[in-house]
Amino acid sequence: MITDFLKLLEREINLSIKNHSVLFSFSVFFVISLLIFVFAFGPNLDDIPNLYTPVVWVVLLFSIMLISDNFIHNDYLDGSLKELQFLGYNEELILSCKSIVMWGIIILPTLFLIPICSLFLNFKLLDLPNLLINILLASPSLILIALVSSLFSIQLKRNRILQFVIIFPFFVPIIIFSTSINNSQNNSFLILIGIFLVTLPVSLTAGRLIMKEINK
Amino acid sequence: MIFKFANPLKFQKLAKKLQPITISLSLLLLFPGLFYSFFASPPDYLQGETVRIMYVHVPCAWFSLMIYSIIAICSFLSIIFKHALADIISRSCAPIGACFTLATLVTGSIWGKPTWGTWWVWDARLTSELVLLIIYLGLIILSNSYEDKKKGDRYVSILALIGIVNLPIIKWSVDWWNTLHQPASISKFSSPSIDASMLTPLFFMTFSFFFFFISILLVRIRGEIIQRKIDVIKFNQIR
Repeated sequence: MITDFLKLLEREINLSIKNHSVLFSFSVFFVISLLIFVFAFGPNLDDIPNLYTPVVWVVLLFSIMLISDNFIHNDYLDGSLKELQFLGYNEELILSCKSIVMWGIIILPTLFLIPICSLFLNFKLLDLPNLLINILLASPSLILIALVSSLFSIQLKRNRILQFVIIFPFFVPIIIFSTSINNSQNNSFLILIGIFLVTLPVSLTAGRLIMKEINK
Repeated sequence: MIFKFANPLKFQKLAKKLQPITISLSLLLLFPGLFYSFFASPPDYLQGETVRIMYVHVPCAWFSLMIYSIIAICSFLSIIFKHALADIISRSCAPIGACFTLATLVTGSIWGKPTWGTWWVWDARLTSELVLLIIYLGLIILSNSYEDKKKGDRYVSILALIGIVNLPIIKWSVDWWNTLHQPASISKFSSPSIDASMLTPLFFMTFSFFFFFISILLVRIRGEIIQRKIDVIKFNQIR
């Protein structure tokens, strides 16, 4: 089990290193999207700090959704998803390895980018640790849900936007609790951990069911 | 009982017999329900006549949750036992549930304007009900997105089972958070609880809505079974 896990993890890491352009394009996407929001709201530095947290969350959400497609859809198209299952790897393991590597690719650069961007956008540095802890706690759930959503829409040739529609409701509680940390509700940290503990088994089980259905 | 009518054809015969009974029961209960809600029940001492919206709003809200529970149970049966009818029931339930949820939100808004002074607030109960509506819409879109209906049904079952986490949130949102929406007051054990003069029309309307839901569901299930038969015939013709 553990050797399987390590092998799958190695595979995902190798693929991500070879496909390093994803990391670069994600960072550029993140910064540019933040800038677009700033341009849309006007360059008034008094308003922007209030917008910073929600905007970061929206951008993060969309980047997670877009990159999750990279991990699942590409594997499905080149047949490796089917092959891994055929070789006897556990579906839950495949999904968890993908989520761990995806977390590394998205969240680690974000933790560097957010403090830099916050300087440009006049965000209070005192609030920064809260925002970062927040992202650290909520992002695993977001990534797991996004992976399940791309599994749902994997066999759709048209209507790829469906991926966003069906899974949006499940992001709502995470976004609500992760943005309410700024209102000094410290138990939100615990709620976010709780949400993750619910999301982990549910999404892995759902992922396994969908992956079995895909190969029927 | 669950497996006796798993055969769609057997169920269709039963549905044909049941349908006139349910629709007449629904109408039979609707008239006393309407009479009690408009004339025989007193206006609220604070809200006045607007309280009568409750007799539509509360049953709709109950059914929005109940129908989702039915979908979830059917999804469970479909995944575990591959029950043939369960997929058809959950596919037929989703649009009805979406309508009940929409009706809850609309009547709630109409009730909210005179009592709270606003059409909408982002409190926990309203938001979770809106999320339920979006889940329903997601189920409908997902089930219609696949050309292979069976595949669509399987995905819908999985999504419906994931979405069940929202039900306890809606139910207890008024107790967990400090919401503008009032907590439940139907149970006689809770305090404050609703007066008997208002409970009577609510009772009639709820059962009338229930039989209405069953009759619509039976129509939809029969339609779905016929549609599947047509699909099989078309497929055989092409072959």
